[in-house]
Amino acid sequence: MKMLVIFEKTDRVRHVGHLDLMRAMQRALRRSGVPIAFSKGFNPHLLLNFAAPLPVGTSGRREIMEVSLSEEISETEFKEKLRAALPPELPCVAVRAVDDRHPAPMALLFAASYQITIPEGAAPLLAAVPSFMAKDSIMALRKTKSGEKLTDIRPMIYDLQVTGDHQLSCTLALCEAATCKPELLLDALSAEAGLEARPRALCVRTQLLGRDFTPLELL
Amino acid sequence: MKEFSADRLEKLLDTVLKPSRYTGGEMNAVAKPFDQAEITFAFCFPDSYEVGMSHLGIKILYDIINRQPWALCERVFTPWPDMADAMRAENLPLFSLESRTPLRNFDIVGFTLQYEMCYTNVLEMLDLSDIPLFSKDRTDGPIIMAGGPCAYNPEPLAPFVDVFQIGDGEEMMVEVIACMRACKKAGCSRLDTLRALAKIEGVYVPAFYKPSYNADGTLASFAPTDPAAPATVRRRVLLDLDSAAYPEAFVVPYTEAIHDRIVLEIMRGCTKGCRFCQAGMLYRPVRERSVETLLRQAEQLENATGYEEMSLSSLSSGDYTHLTELVCALTERYGERKISVSLPSMRIDSIVKQSLEEAQKVRKSGLTLAPEAGTQRMRDVINKGVTEEDLIRAVTDAFTSGWSTVKLYFMIGLPTETDEDLAGIGHLAQDVINAYFTVPRGMRAKGLRVTCSASTFVPKPFTPFQWQGQDDLPTIREKQAKLGDILRQVKGVNFNWHEPELSMLEATFARGDRRMGDVLYAAWKNGCRMDGWTEFLNYDGWMKAFEDCGIDPKFYANRERGEKELLPWDFIDAGVTRAFLWREWQRAQRGEVTPDCRKGCQGCGLKRFEGVCVDR
Ligand code: SF4
Repeated sequence: MKMLVIFEKTDRVRHVGHLDLMRAMQRALRRSGVPIAFSKGFNPHLLLNFAAPLPVGTSGRREIMEVSLSEEISETEFKEKLRAALPPELPCVAVRAVDDRHPAPMALLFAASYQITIPEGAAPLLAAVPSFMAKDSIMALRKTKSGEKLTDIRPMIYDLQVTGDHQLSCTLALCEAATCKPELLLDALSAEAGLEARPRALCVRTQLLGRDFTPLELL
Repeated sequence: MKEFSADRLEKLLDTVLKPSRYTGGEMNAVAKPFDQAEITFAFCFPDSYEVGMSHLGIKILYDIINRQPWALCERVFTPWPDMADAMRAENLPLFSLESRTPLRNFDIVGFTLQYEMCYTNVLEMLDLSDIPLFSKDRTDGPIIMAGGPCAYNPEPLAPFVDVFQIGDGEEMMVEVIACMRACKKAGCSRLDTLRALAKIEGVYVPAFYKPSYNADGTLASFAPTDPAAPATVRRRVLLDLDSAAYPEAFVVPYTEAIHDRIVLEIMRGCTKGCRFCQAGMLYRPVRERSVETLLRQAEQLENATGYEEMSLSSLSSGDYTHLTELVCALTERYGERKISVSLPSMRIDSIVKQSLEEAQKVRKSGLTLAPEAGTQRMRDVINKGVTEEDLIRAVTDAFTSGWSTVKLYFMIGLPTETDEDLAGIGHLAQDVINAYFTVPRGMRAKGLRVTCSASTFVPKPFTPFQWQGQDDLPTIREKQAKLGDILRQVKGVNFNWHEPELSMLEATFARGDRRMGDVLYAAWKNGCRMDGWTEFLNYDGWMKAFEDCGIDPKFYANRERGEKELLPWDFIDAGVTRAFLWREWQRAQRGEVTPDCRKGCQGCGLKRFEGVCVDR
């Protein structure tokens, strides 16, 4: 069986990189005493899949990892054991048992919602949102594996709203075919607002989404 | 005064290298309410997070202080220079990792001194905290303490530190913080608090002592000026290691520390009597933990950390009485759970073949051996009781068991060293390579890698070589070049060496007196910090500091001391007596070896401490 773990990466540890986060999770799973499955082979490791790595500097409210188990265990027991073993800055929000054939979370991923706080110089950016969203196409330089590419990111922006004096929230494409990072959105929005560079922003990934914008953990 | 602000910190964190060094929130970090603690202790490691988090002493004392319900201990490391500069620009004071409290709000700010080249970081950390650097300028605020091996010659830091703790910290630390608590409750003045602390065995309060100097610059006298201060400060000795407190959990960093694993301290102290080795003299006598205790600690730590690796720590793990039993039990228990067990600092005269084979079941890391010198004569001088035969037997065993990476550590600049001794290093390296090829092809692992590492000998206090002058820089450079030429002719050996400038600076502080405090201050003013990191070592800044203070580094580093000279650390009773050390110094010069005192007491002086060193 597999267990989907929904956890938070708090603001305090937002700078912990993906590899370090993975190691922290592996150690937590070892400490927890839940029956984890190891890979076969010369250098055995825990079978652990993350829905999507969080960039350094970004915190996450409902991140998802999938843990393969070697024995059956109830959701309640698993959650209790893991909760006790996790550092306070990586709390477990919920768990869901799925069977081995359940697709990997990464395969179901479609988009993500973010909350973006801009402590200083937010006003021009927020003011540019309506005209920005009215556009049919927004060309931006996107970093891909093969270098930089000029892409139309407008179709990857599903939603963008002003939610406070210093705050935006948005839903952006996040899947293998197309990904728009919040930084890219901010760059384009800053250009729209006539700013030379994007202001400093704190990003929180609030929800991972599957098809029809259903929360990934429910699929 | 700089005020802490979480917002400004967040802003900095987005711009500096490795921000996770400063964010805390790790597994097992202690979270006690700061305001409710009666005594608050900021435990400072004067180097980067990665280095400090690898250190065992901080884990032990962090645990011991936090065990007291009324006390709190939080961690602080030296910010990397980019962060330090950014904090100054943002007016952000240095803060503790747990509760993000500025250091000046603690009752005690304590530094552990593991090596001399971290001293500028002590000043840097005080300055980043808005704490006056000089002890005499502090009328309130935290008491600044220091401990660790470098506290055995506290004098270069005497102007900056209020209280030194000398010796094993487990019991002394509890007495010190309890004394601080009582003084705080009673509303004692700073002076009376220092007086109360000075009465605790192992504690040295530099403000209560005054040195005077001869015309030639040597020390003329050193005496207490306050009735509370003892003329001789006796080092603390922990008698019972087996029942001493040991952490049941380690803080598990997110970013990888240099040593990021479970550490079991199997034994403290060493009886080999290597004459260059300060740790071997300072941590006498040998005290062991029982296998039962160690297995219990391993289990607790594994459950609390989830680490994948476990290492045994001591000065010479090969001498641990129950090594085979322990290693077998650990590999049996943890091999199944994919946890590897490694044995560091193995000494080549004591490698147990069986343990090697056990350890290798789990993981095969490189084999590290420290013959220290290239010829038998030189090894006799330093009392490294190892023969070439031992070494070759050990590496042959290792090669047969599947090892193929060997690191050999040597020192150059040892007393009485000649060209022949340098050539001997080449011969030894060649013999190791030959040993590999004597193992049949099918039995040995592929890819032989031999590395020879040569450090520069630094004479240290409380060793038989404390009287010896260090080779000067040109001599060291010449020897390094010669050794480089020699090893270039041995096919298949990598050679690396340490910066001789760094070793020279280390030597000035290792045997420095109070006047070296001026040099330290001037060097820090010149921008010196993080001196242990090659990329930051600002040698010109240091030389200018010596010049500005009118102090010749050669006086401290290269000068040989005489039998009658009063040494700056003579007022400390470290356990080993000056008479024993002198006798050993004489024997060294005659090339006479002194056997391991497990085979018979050599009268080093530890027996004067009651209950210590009972004959086996
Ligand atoms: S007192 Fe004797 S047995 Fe004890 S450490 Fe010293 S030399 Fe060894």
